[in-house]
Amino acid sequence: MRFIPYILYLFLLALYLTILRDITYICGAQIDLAVLMAALVALYKSEMTTFWFAVCIAIISGTPLLDLLPWEMIILVIPALIVNQISARINLESLTSRLILVAGYLLIHQAVLTLIVAGNDFFILLYKSILPTMVYTLVIGWLIFQILDGRITWKKTKALF
Amino acid sequence: MTWFSTIFLKNRRFVNFGLAAILFLLITFSPNVVRPLLGNICSSIFFYPFAELKYYIIELQDASRENRLLEKQLTEASLQLEILSEAKRENQRLREVIGFDPPENFRLIPVKIVTLYQNVYPIAAVINKGSRESIKINQPVINRFGLVGKIKEVMPDFATVTLLTDPMNAVSGRVAETREIGIVRFSPDKGMYFDNLPADSDIEPNHLVISSGLGGVYPAGLSLAIVDSVTASRGDILKTVYLKPTVNFFKIDELYVLTGGEQ
Repeated sequence: MRFIPYILYLFLLALYLTILRDITYICGAQIDLAVLMAALVALYKSEMTTFWFAVCIAIISGTPLLDLLPWEMIILVIPALIVNQISARINLESLTSRLILVAGYLLIHQAVLTLIVAGNDFFILLYKSILPTMVYTLVIGWLIFQILDGRITWKKTKALF
Repeated sequence: MTWFSTIFLKNRRFVNFGLAAILFLLITFSPNVVRPLLGNICSSIFFYPFAELKYYIIELQDASRENRLLEKQLTEASLQLEILSEAKRENQRLREVIGFDPPENFRLIPVKIVTLYQNVYPIAAVINKGSRESIKINQPVINRFGLVGKIKEVMPDFATVTLLTDPMNAVSGRVAETREIGIVRFSPDKGMYFDNLPADSDIEPNHLVISSGLGGVYPAGLSLAIVDSVTASRGDILKTVYLKPTVNFFKIDELYVLTGGEQ
């Protein structure tokens, strides 16, 4: 039973990659949901959960382009484990520290993936795609953290209107 | 089995990493077997249902778009059909008009109504031709059923027609059968009526009233109305004759201005 939420996360990722990514795409920026999910699990869950969840996330992310599957495994699993280790040593109450961790994870994933796929145009893609994607994903991450911390609730949102 | 579970529990972390490492090595070094197999399983379990959903949504969108397009085409086709029907009716009317001979020295200028001035009854109309087309004040306006009115005002490209339904517009009429002369008038409460007809007149219902040609505005012989009812009380000097106009003023569209009669 404890695996069901993670399986649902994987389905959510598949849904995002299949349908929602095109809808949420804004001027070269897209949400790196794989990293965001792996980072969230890495921040709050155990090492083994993080590890296997990152492996599964990598497999799902790499399925559309199987040649990149090993690379996806490396750049998703290793940073996830690093984030998990760091999260045990930092103050998780701080929103900034969590966002910095997510940002670092995002940067590693996006940068390495871009270097592999389009190494020659890395610097052009850095400001055209990598940084906008990072900012976009961080905004979504910030929203998720706000919800997890109880700063954004249904009642508060309802009270606004 | 006990020793195995003990080793597994004691070295759980390394066992997990070891399993993942094996999986990684299989994926990396077996690009033709393990990688496609894994991709196939993942695709069929995770991606296929959403891909189906996506195509279903796309198909729905396409169907919706196609539906809108077809609706538009249907509307256009209906409009086309209406235009063709109208052209057919116009053709039929024109065929009837061909048989109409304008009075001597007159020629017909076909005009179309731009707008009608209507106050219970239509009493005036703006037509699409004016002084540039030799339209002048007081020229008679007819359609295939008979006299409609006369030109009241002329603009360069438009003209105003005062209709027979205007109470201020009276026409000298003649009963075609009896040759008696009277004045055809219109009032909103009585409708069209024949005025100034003596009580001993032989006029009867269904007699045709035509223009007499007196007054110099309208040529003689244009159909004005059919006698609807005739009433005369004892001691009356004049007969009360109600008429039914030959022209339906609510349905006028194509008109003809008679020009050249003044020459």
